[in-house]
Amino acid sequence: MKNMMSVVVALVLCVLVTGLPAQAQDFSHIEAILERLDAQSRFDNTDFSSVLTMVVEDVEKGIEKMVVRQFRRDDGERFLLLIQEPVTEKGQGYLLEGDNLWFYDPSSRQFAHTSLKENFQDSDARNADFGSNSYSSSYEVEGYLEGTLGNFEVYIIDLKAVDDTVPFPFVKLWVTKDSDLVLKTEEYSLTYRLMRTGLFPKYTKVGDVVMPVQMVFIDELVPGNKTQISVSEISVSDIPDHVFTKAYIERVNR
Amino acid sequence: MFLTMKVAFRNISRQKKRSFLLAGAIAFGMLVITLMNALTGGVVGTIRDNFSHALGGHVFITGQEWTDAGQMIMKIRPDENLDRLLEENATQIEAFTRRSQAMPTMIFGSKQTMQMLYGVDFTEEDKLLDSLVVTQGRLADVLVEENAVILPQPVGERLGVQVGETILIRLETLTGQQNVGELKVVAFIEDQEELGLSAAFTSRSYLNTLLGMDQHEYQILNMFVTDLSLVDSFARIFREGLRTPDEGEEEAEPQVAVMVAGVPLDPLAEAEEITPWEGTRYRVMHINQIMEAVELVVGVLNRVGLVIFLILLVVTMVGITNTFRMMMIERTKEIGTMRAFGMHQKQVKNIFLWEATFLGLLGCVGGLVLAGVISLIVGNITFDADPSLQFFLNQGQVVFDVSLASVIGNTAIVVLISLLAAYWPARAAARMSPMKALSSHT
Repeated sequence: MKNMMSVVVALVLCVLVTGLPAQAQDFSHIEAILERLDAQSRFDNTDFSSVLTMVVEDVEKGIEKMVVRQFRRDDGERFLLLIQEPVTEKGQGYLLEGDNLWFYDPSSRQFAHTSLKENFQDSDARNADFGSNSYSSSYEVEGYLEGTLGNFEVYIIDLKAVDDTVPFPFVKLWVTKDSDLVLKTEEYSLTYRLMRTGLFPKYTKVGDVVMPVQMVFIDELVPGNKTQISVSEISVSDIPDHVFTKAYIERVNR
Repeated sequence: MFLTMKVAFRNISRQKKRSFLLAGAIAFGMLVITLMNALTGGVVGTIRDNFSHALGGHVFITGQEWTDAGQMIMKIRPDENLDRLLEENATQIEAFTRRSQAMPTMIFGSKQTMQMLYGVDFTEEDKLLDSLVVTQGRLADVLVEENAVILPQPVGERLGVQVGETILIRLETLTGQQNVGELKVVAFIEDQEELGLSAAFTSRSYLNTLLGMDQHEYQILNMFVTDLSLVDSFARIFREGLRTPDEGEEEAEPQVAVMVAGVPLDPLAEAEEITPWEGTRYRVMHINQIMEAVELVVGVLNRVGLVIFLILLVVTMVGITNTFRMMMIERTKEIGTMRAFGMHQKQVKNIFLWEATFLGLLGCVGGLVLAGVISLIVGNITFDADPSLQFFLNQGQVVFDVSLASVIGNTAIVVLISLLAAYWPARAAARMSPMKALSSHT
C-alpha cells in the first residue's frame, strides 16, 4: 500500500513537473511595458527635429566626429537625416518614406535604396536607431528577470523577433521598473552571439515623448569600436512637408 | 602569263633598295594591323577564360523567390526538374558546381576585412582542392571540420591570423538579419589567378546555416560546357526547361546579373516594378552575355586599327604610284623594245601590275613574319602587372591570337591597293607608242 502511495505521488509529481513548462508564463505586464516604450518613443502629434553629434571610434580608422541634422515625422513614418560634418560627407542624406529608405550622395547626385537594417555611415548606429521603437510589434517576450543596473531597479527582458524583418533576431532590454526607460540593450545574432550593446544614460521629455539624449553603441565583435551620440537643439516645431522630399535634399545641396 | 610574271619578278630584284623600301612600308602597315588583330583576338580569348575561371563556369543559374514578408531572396531549392535537365545534358557538361556565397566581414581581434566567401560541397567539387595552391596549412582539413575555411594568403596577412586560429565572420542572412559565425583557418592559398578576385572557401552546409538556408539549398549553379561554341543553345535548353508556366515567353535573353566578388556586372540595370510570384524563378546566364560588352570594345579597337592600316596604305599607295611612274620613265626604251618585238599593250600593263602584286605580297609576308617574331617575344614575357590588368593576361603573359580570315582579308586589301596604285602608271606604260619609246633619251 505504501509502495502504491509512493508510485501515485511520484506520478502526480511527474505530471506536475512535466506540466509546468507547458503552462504559458504570463508576460502581459512586460508586454504592456513594451507597448509603453513604443508609445513614448513616437512623435505622433508633433514633428521633431534635432542635431545629432556622433563620435565614431574605430580602432583602425581612429576617431571621427559627425554632425547630423535630424527631422522626424512619425505620423507617416518619415525622417530625414542630413549630414553636415565632416565636410567630405556634407550633403549626404537619408530619407525615410514609409517602407523606403533612400540614401542621397551629392557627388553622384543620385538616390540609392538602402535599408533600416544597415549601419549609419561607418558608425555603430543603425539607420533604424533614428526612428521610433517597435518592440511590441516586432518582438515577443521570451522571458524576463528582475535585477539592478547601477542604482536602478530594472526588468531584464529577453525578446525574440516575431519574423525576420528586424536586423537582430534576439534582443535583451534593461528597463527601469518605475519609469519605463531603456537603460541598456544587447542585440544578438541568429546564432545568439552578442553583436552590439547600447547604453542610454540620459533621457529628456519632449511633450509626451521620452527620448534618450545620449546614446552609446558598442560593437561587441571588434573590441574598441563604439559610437557615442548626443542629441541637441531639440525642437517640436512644425516642419514643412517639403522637407521630407527628395527634391529638398537635392536643393539644400545646391 | 608566266613570262610576264617572270619579267615582273626580275624587275623587282633589279632595284633591290627601292623594292625593299616599298615592301617595307607595306610590311609596316601589315605589322600594325596584324599585331592589333592578334592582340584584340588574344585579349577576348583571355578575358573569356579568366571570366569563366573566376565565375566558376560558362553557364550560371540562379534562383529567386519571394518570402512571406514580401522580400525577394536568391536561392535554389532541390528541384527534380533541374536535376532532370542536368542528367539529360550530362554529355555536354564538363563539370558543374553548386555553391552558396556571401560577402561577410571577417574579424580577427581588432582587424577586419570584407572578403568573398564561397560555400562549397567539397565532396562534390573534388577538383577544387587540386586547383588551389597552398602556401600554408592542409587543404584536406576542410573535410574534417565543418566550419573550416581556406583563406587567400593576403587576407590572412591583413587579419594577422595563423593557421589553426579561429576568425569571426559577420554577415546577413538572406532576409537581412544579422548573423555571426566562427571559421577555423585550415589553410592559406595563393590569391586566385591574381585577378583581384580572391575568394575564400568554406563548407556549403555551414555557410547555409549562417545564411538561413537549408543544407541542400544553394545559390548558384555553375556549369562548364564541353563545347564553348554551343554555349548559347545549351543555356537556352536550361532557360526553357526551367521556365514556369506563369513566367510567359521571354522576348530576349535576360540581362546579365552575374556577380564578381560581390560586384554586379550590370551596373546600368534599372530598378523595375516586379510583381511577386509563387515558387522559384530561374535566371540562366552564359559567358557570351558577359563577353558581349568586351567584344563590342574589341570590335571598336579593330575598326580603329583598320582605319590606321588604311591610312598607312594610302600613304604607301602614293609612294607606289610615284615609284611606278618613275619606273615607267626609266624603262621607256625597254618598253619600246619589248613592244617592237611584239609584246602586247596588255602584257606591258600586266608586268607592272604583277610587280605591284609581288611588292604587296612581299610586304605582307614581311609584316606577318615581323608580327610573328614580335608576338613570340612579347608573348613569352611574364608581366608582374596590377591585379586588375591581370584580367587581360594569361598567367601574366600577353596572348596573341590572329585569325586566318583577318590575315587573308588584310592581304587582299594590300594587294588590291597596290594594284590600284600601280594601275595608272601601268596603263600609261602600256599605251606608250613603241616608236616614241625607242627614240626616247631615257
